[in-house]
Order: sequence, then structure tokens, then C-alpha cells
Amino acid sequence: MHMLAVLSRLAWRNLWRNHRRTLIMLLAIILGTWAMIFMTALMRGMVSQMVADGISSLPGHVQVHHPDFRDDPSVANLINVPDSEIAERFNAANFRQWASRVRVPAVITSEYDSRGVTLVGVDPALEDGLTFVDYREVEGRFLESADDKGVVIGRKLADILNTEVGKRIVLMSQDPDNEIADRGFRVVGLFTASVKAFEEQFVFAGKTTTQNMLRIGDQVSEIAVLGDDYRDVEAEFQKTLELINDGVTVQRWTEVDRFLGTMLGVMDGFVLVWIVVIFLALSFGLVNTLVMAVFERVREIGLMLALGMRPKDILGQIILESLLLLAIGLALGSALAWATVQPIRDGIDLSMVSEGMEMMGVSSVLVPELLLSDVVLANVVVLILGFFASLSPAWRAAQYEPIEAITKV
Amino acid sequence: MNKQLLLTAVTMLLAGTAQAQERDATSIVRDAVNHWRGLSSDAVMTMVIHRPDWERTMTMRAWTKGDDRSLVRVLEPTKDRGNGTLTDDNSMWSFSPKVNRVIKIPSSMMGQSWMGSDFSNKDVARADDIVDQYDHRILGVEEADGVTIYEIESIPHEDAAVVWGREVLSIRDDHVVTTHRFYDQDGELVKTLTSLEIGEMGGRTIALRQRMSKEETPEEWTEIAVESVDYDIDLPDSLFTLSNLRNPRE
Repeated sequence: MHMLAVLSRLAWRNLWRNHRRTLIMLLAIILGTWAMIFMTALMRGMVSQMVADGISSLPGHVQVHHPDFRDDPSVANLINVPDSEIAERFNAANFRQWASRVRVPAVITSEYDSRGVTLVGVDPALEDGLTFVDYREVEGRFLESADDKGVVIGRKLADILNTEVGKRIVLMSQDPDNEIADRGFRVVGLFTASVKAFEEQFVFAGKTTTQNMLRIGDQVSEIAVLGDDYRDVEAEFQKTLELINDGVTVQRWTEVDRFLGTMLGVMDGFVLVWIVVIFLALSFGLVNTLVMAVFERVREIGLMLALGMRPKDILGQIILESLLLLAIGLALGSALAWATVQPIRDGIDLSMVSEGMEMMGVSSVLVPELLLSDVVLANVVVLILGFFASLSPAWRAAQYEPIEAITKV
Repeated sequence: MNKQLLLTAVTMLLAGTAQAQERDATSIVRDAVNHWRGLSSDAVMTMVIHRPDWERTMTMRAWTKGDDRSLVRVLEPTKDRGNGTLTDDNSMWSFSPKVNRVIKIPSSMMGQSWMGSDFSNKDVARADDIVDQYDHRILGVEEADGVTIYEIESIPHEDAAVVWGREVLSIRDDHVVTTHRFYDQDGELVKTLTSLEIGEMGGRTIALRQRMSKEETPEEWTEIAVESVDYDIDLPDSLFTLSNLRNPRE
């Protein structure tokens, strides 16, 4: 223990003997650490946003469909449990939030144009906060009840169709017998979405009104359950499985959208790769610094050995020197990363490149996400790898023959 | 007291007239549709699709029976010969001998153009919706060349599958529709169906040549001219079947 204190003091003093070299190395470590943590936070933020937007396009962390609905999302594939019974079961189950909806492909027509859309028949009371539409941001109003006779469409779709709040449009789809099911609706509201593509894709109408139009009685095509954390929906999944198992498929959102689900998993691996890559660049500088430090002090090390210091203490001293350097760099680097995330924690406005971002399915505000686990991971990985990187110069220093070392010119 | 009574009487009278007028307007429209279609009909028509840089002419034969059944078959040009469209109620099928397939027109295609013309599939399949999915009102009556022309405004019901804000029809007292104007919900005229030639054929006075044109693109129009027509003839039900659409038996 006493030896460790002595070694630490020696290492600390040696570190500052050539303070310019140490400061430069320190700067490199700080920058490297900052890049690891800050960039990870940005990427995490981007992926989270992408996942959140992705989930919001098919809201619900756990979803129930007819087994064939995924392949053919048509009116033919409905859940064969009446909606009233679903409501009875799910209301009793104490979910954070759940909703059942009718979801069919449809064609919307105005006087001037027509477009293919996804018609979603919703009960607005159940959907508040579940859908990506913020009721209070809707121009006009959102639907008021399940048998509301109006329709809410996206602002972009309204521009394309050359229609506006108060005008009528026609929605056309098919009933289960392949007969045309159509109806005129009055546009009561225009919604805006962070992902502009949703404004073109989704049209909301009252659930009961939609059921009547499609002549499907009391049936729905989708049940969605919202959990507390999208990363862990297992509890909701199990509970839903128990509630409904009559010829339907129950899926977690990671299964509904495998791309998003996989991305979330890949991200964790990617963070590690990113940290290791940066460290590899750093390690050349680190090893070089240590080699130089050892080379400069060959005679001194020889003297220490001659005076009776054991080789493993020399080894320890050099490694301590390197770890001290890394620790200071990591601490400052992490602090710097935290400090740069703070002013932008509400998000960076990327609206000037929003079109490109939308093509990736990302909305135009990027909120960095600084996770403690990522900071810890970066620090631990660098310390451990740094330890191994400094082993080689330290080992060489410990292997010197005292006589040779002292007499080295 | 007397004054009030008088006022009430006048109000009631006015209301009564308004009601009578509305009923009248609806029956004028219904009579016009019935007059055009007859109980059944068998007609040969020529359709000209005109665009600024090309024009295309098709001759076809059309049969109708009752309110909701019709069959149209292309006679010329030769390369389109045999193409047919069958409507029954609200459904529509098309057949092309080249692919030898009957295709049911899905709802998503009902708004699209019929055989490349300015008419939509919906215009063809559901021409008689105008009677019962609208509220009709007489806007004005005018005399021209010895015939009375009623101008009728038709406003679609709230839940009717119609995109127009209103339609204005000019119907002569002999049930011939002279113009049919489609307005958007801002009251802007979008397209017009005009009868360019009215004459006698098949024992009735009908529009012999009609043109559909859009306001935004006046250079583009579709004209349908009736070459010959027979009304109220006996047509077998088997005419309006999918198998007859595919394999003509006549």
C-alpha cells in the first residue's frame, strides 16, 4: 500500500516533467472522449427520434391484428371479436392507454384531385396522446366522438386536393364483399405532423362512421396498447396475449416494424464500435508518449533498478502514469461533452435540411440523448484498453538490465 | 289581428309554393334522366377525345336497361374492338379481348378516366345518382326559341359521395338537358357538359351531340354523338352479364 502511494507520487511528478507533451496528449484524449460521448448522444437522439416517429405512424407498442392483416391490410382481415367485447376486456386490464381502430386503404377525392390514403377510423377519446396528431394543434378541430361525421386530414394532403376546413371530400373504399363503399365527409380539421409524409398518408374519421360506411358492423382491424417505455414492452405484450387469443396475432412493435426494432439493437453495438475506433486513433498517441517518456528516462530507470526497486514496480509506475493521464483526460472530456449537450438539450433545429432528413424518416428537430450508460461505457472502455496499450512500453522499461541502462548514453 | 292572419296566410302560401317547387325540381331532373335512358335503350355512339396535340375517335354500342344496368362495347377503331364496360348497380367491370380478362374496377379507380376520356368511371357507372343524392331547386325559368328551359340547382346531400359543391342543370320542358355545370365548393365552375346539337332520334327529342370540357383546360374535351338509338325495346337480362361481357352473343 505504501509502495502504491510512492509509485503514484512518482508517476504524477513524472507526468509533469515534460508538461508540454503531457498537455498535448491530454488535449487529444479530451477531444477523443468528447467526440465519443457527444457524437453518441447525437446519434442516440437521431435513432430515438426515428423510432419514436416510426412507432407513432403505427401507434401502439403492442398491436393486435387479424393474422393476415400484415400481408393484406384490407377490410377483409378484421379482428373477429366484436369491438364492444374488446372494450370490455381491455378497459378492465388497466393499461396505460389502449385503443381499437379501423384501418383500411382508401381513396380520397376532391373536385380537383384524388389520392390513395390510409383511412383510420378512431375513437378520439381513446386516441388522445396515442396518435401522432396533437389535438390542440389541429387547425379547425379534431374529431369529437366515434360517430363524428367529419374527417381530419393532413395539411399537405389538403394542399394537394385543393380543399380546406369546411369543404366536403369523398372517401372511397371497399366493403368485405368487394362492393364499393363510399361516403361524403366534411373536412373539420387539418393536422400537422413532424414527419410530413404522414400528412399525406393518414386520414382520420370517426370509428362508428367508418364502420357504417364499410358495412362491417362492430368490428375493428387493429388494437393498440401503449406501454410506459418503448424499450421494454414485455409486460404489456404478455397481458395482451392473455386478454385476446382468439385467432389473432399479437405483436410487439419491434415485430410490427422490424427495421426500427433492429435499428435500436444495432445502435448499442454501433456505439461500442465508435468508441473503439476513436480509441484506436488515440492509442497511437498514447503509446508514443509513453515510449518517449521511457526512452528519456532509461538511465534513471536503471538507477532505480540498481538501488533495488523491483521490475514490477517500474511496470506499475509507467502504467500508473498512463492511467493518470487517461483519467484526467476522460474526466475533462466527459465534462466537456456534458457541457456541450446542455445548451442544445431541447433540440437542434435542422429545418434547413428538413427535406433530406424526412427522406430518412427523421423529423427536423434533433434532440441529443446523453445516456449515463454511454458515458460509463466510453470511460471504462478507454481505461481498460489504455491499460493494455501501455503494457508494452512499461514492460520494456521493467526489463532493462540496470548496468546497461545506467551506462546508456 | 286581421293583418296577422293575412301574414300567416301569405307565409303558408309561400312555403307551400316553395315545397311544390322543390318537388317539381326533383321530378324535372328525374324525368330528364328517364327520358335520356328510357326503360331500355340500344344506341350507337361516337366518342371524340380531343387534346391540343391529338384526337381520337371511337365508335361504340351501348345498351341500357332500367336504372342501373348498362353495357358498352367498342366497335371502332379495330385495335380497340371488343373492349367493353358493364355496370350493374354500383359495380363496374371492364373487359379487354387483348388480355382476355374481365377486371372489376376497384373503388380506387372509380374516379379515374373512362377509356381515356374526360368522363370518369363514376360518371358512367352512377349517372342516375343525380336524382336521389341531391336536393334540387329551381333557380329560374326562361323561354328561348319556343321552349321553356328550367335552370335547376342540385346540391348533394351531406353524406353523398359527390365532390361537387353544386351542379346546375338546364333542362328543357321536353326533358332534354342542354347544359350540366359542375361547380366546386367555392362556387367556381369546374367542368361543363353541353348539348351542342339537339334533334329527333329513336322517336324522342334528345341531345345528339354532347361535349364535356373542363374550365382549366378548354383545349381538352370529349364529345359524344349519338349515331342511332332505339328506345324501350325488349332487352334480355342475359345481355348484362359477365359472360356476355366476355363473349358477345349477338
